[in-house]
Amino acid sequence: MSEHTSDGTELEAVEPGLEFLAPKFEVEGFPWAQVMGYVFSLLLTFAALLLVVDHAMPPILLLAVILALALGQAGLQLGVFMHLRESRGTAWQLLPLGLAFFIAFALVGTSIWIMLFKTGVS
Amino acid sequence: MPAFLLYLVHTLFPPDTRQPTELGADFMILVTGIGIVYILTRYKKWRWLWREWLTTVDHKRIAILYLIAAIAMLFRGGVDALMLRTNLALPNVQPIGALEYNEVFTTHGTIMIFFMAMPFIFALFNAVIPLQIGSRDVAFPRLNAMSYWLFAFGAMLFNISFVVGGSPNAGWTGYPPLTELAFNPGPGESYYFLSLLIAGIGTTITGINFLVTIIRMRAPGMTLMRMPMFAWSTLVTSALIIFAFPPLTVALALSLLDRTFGSSFFTLGHGGMPMMYVNLFWLFGHPEVYIVILPAFGIFSEVVPTFSKKRLFGYTTMVISLVSIMFLAYGTWVHHFFTMGAGPTVNAFFGLSTMLIAIPTGVKIFNWIFTMWGGRIRITVAMLYQMAFIPTFVVGGATGIMLSVVPADYQLHNSYWVVAHFHNVLIGGTVFGLLSGLYYWWPKMFGFILNERQGKVGFWLFVIGFWVTFLPQYLLGLEGMTRRMYTYPFGFGWHELNVISTLGAFTMGAGFIALVYNILWSLRYGERDLTGDPWNGRTLEWALPSPAPEYNFARIPVVHGVDEFWAMKEQGMTLANQLRPQDVKALELPKNTGMPFMLGLSFFVGGFGMVFEWWPIAIFGGLGVVACLIYAAFDYDDKEPLPADVIRHTEGTFGRLQA
Ligand code: HEM
Ligand SMILES: [Cu+2]
Repeated sequence: MSEHTSDGTELEAVEPGLEFLAPKFEVEGFPWAQVMGYVFSLLLTFAALLLVVDHAMPPILLLAVILALALGQAGLQLGVFMHLRESRGTAWQLLPLGLAFFIAFALVGTSIWIMLFKTGVS
Repeated sequence: MPAFLLYLVHTLFPPDTRQPTELGADFMILVTGIGIVYILTRYKKWRWLWREWLTTVDHKRIAILYLIAAIAMLFRGGVDALMLRTNLALPNVQPIGALEYNEVFTTHGTIMIFFMAMPFIFALFNAVIPLQIGSRDVAFPRLNAMSYWLFAFGAMLFNISFVVGGSPNAGWTGYPPLTELAFNPGPGESYYFLSLLIAGIGTTITGINFLVTIIRMRAPGMTLMRMPMFAWSTLVTSALIIFAFPPLTVALALSLLDRTFGSSFFTLGHGGMPMMYVNLFWLFGHPEVYIVILPAFGIFSEVVPTFSKKRLFGYTTMVISLVSIMFLAYGTWVHHFFTMGAGPTVNAFFGLSTMLIAIPTGVKIFNWIFTMWGGRIRITVAMLYQMAFIPTFVVGGATGIMLSVVPADYQLHNSYWVVAHFHNVLIGGTVFGLLSGLYYWWPKMFGFILNERQGKVGFWLFVIGFWVTFLPQYLLGLEGMTRRMYTYPFGFGWHELNVISTLGAFTMGAGFIALVYNILWSLRYGERDLTGDPWNGRTLEWALPSPAPEYNFARIPVVHGVDEFWAMKEQGMTLANQLRPQDVKALELPKNTGMPFMLGLSFFVGGFGMVFEWWPIAIFGGLGVVACLIYAAFDYDDKEPLPADVIRHTEGTFGRLQA
């Protein structure tokens, strides 16, 4: 509340050599990136849905394709909506982002490992 | 028209909502509803209600709203519990039948976890965290109000299921195929999924809000390693929330799709995978049990130093154990379904990881004991709950370790042993912690002190009641009584233990009444807290008047170490004797807004429409949500100036300004 100026930027001195930590904010204007990002994320979603509903390919291939679509979706969300490029410097983002990916993949990986039992039993 | 009305009555009030308990509830809701409307109209309080409370974005008021909701839900969940215990008191005596029993244990569990423990925790986060870290607010005050109203309307949606349409009845875990449409028609389970989805959005937002608040809004000089321990536990809890709630959201949303739109993610037929729901649920569920226990750990880490008049023992190890609990909490979830039979490797892995988590927990227990060791202990109610917590939680943890031994779990799973274990940790840990925090921070929230003598009566009723209720349940588990039975026959030797357990439950009920009586009594006659520091506290919240003014700090303090306020007092300083009139600057405060309330309402309407699959209503609610979000996005007029003179005046009336 106090340390913000009226246009939302922050007054912070950047020490020499640490410029890469300086805040970067998107300039004002019509948010084309966001609008296009929104359209594309809808497209990616419906593409996945249609492929699955129509059984458009053999299952394994289908899985691979929707996984690829999902990765594209994740990248899009991070890049356009999660302010990945617009921040107090990318360095601050990488550590928590890496951590988030680690947790996500660990959870998905172990879930697959746990649920594999079905193939062994049935 | 009459045919239409008949349909409406039949859908909204099917036969199982026309039983005595439901009709009794209808009557109570009607009477309290009319009473509230009457009082508000009579005393012309509608505007006051809207302007001061329903539209507030002040974290201190939101805290009070959360607290009211939590205590109301503790009442409802408690009544459910007494109904369950009454049904089990004697063999073959069943005031309520099997179906209703299922409904009552389902609502009991769901309400206690999601609508009692969670809002209680958020009440204390909101009341304390900004004050403790020397901040004027949370990072996103409007989101904070949104969180509250999403929670509140989610809770309301869940609660009306009892009287409108029928309650969910598949347990607080909502496993398929028990929740599958084919086996469980009616609106009950849809209520469960939708209300938890709505409240879950609010919870996730709260997690984000407090994470950002603690990372970004600390007073100058307060490094992470100088934060009060409650702030640390809030930070870790928030991180857990952010990662734990998405799997729950996915599990609930896919189940809802299965029920409402005929997909088959978790169905028995069509290649669905019911066990995948169980996996996703516990992927959330185990972190969740830490989400509700870590704040209690944080509370005790504040209460013990204050009432032992000593610095917290082993600050760094406390932090390390908190953070390692955070990571380990994600690695143990399979212990809730060892009996699925994922195979020896998987079970051994998760059995070990479960045992591992007891180590950092044990470290914390020792640290509290060493903090008390050699301290000058004052036995207040807050401290009593802490002292009852240690042995109780140790027993709960030890019985958990026994469950993590896979072969033992194959015997104990779904028995009363498990029921006793998780109540041991949830009541002995979370609830004792929350009550301790309630007594401790109550003066800060409301400006008066809860009566200690009455508090002690409530304490003894509650603690003794707890042990009398749950110790017999361990024995019942060993004797083979399974959980979620609605009755049992003579001759298994379960009879006496169940009678004792029910007596204990009613003792706890008396403890709850003592608490409510204490609150009402103290509201009128309780000692006012004029100093702002009734307990001789150590952290910054006690440096402020009680309750804190809306801007919290007239000037943000500079922090030099752990227990900043204690250090200030030792040097004979206060926030007041450093504050000269010219130090006070004008501020901007976030402006009240009706948007969060309307958003919650829209979700409620939409959710209600979806429960009954009345699509026009559902779409109407959905459009309301979109409209609120658009309004919120373009509402730039969200701040209000607070002139320096007003602040000077307020500080002056507290006597906190140098001439
Ligand atoms: C040393 C720490 C702990 C260990 C080793 C442990 C272990 C376990 C195990 C193995 C189970 C599964 C039993 C079964 O269903 O067969 C279980 C259930 C449960 N535990 Fe713990 N636990 C610990 C601490 C906690 C804490 C701190 C809480 C909450 C505050 C908690 C809440 C629960 C709940 C709610 C359930 C049962 C959920 C249900 O099936 O409805 N536990 N615990
Ligand atoms: Cu667990």
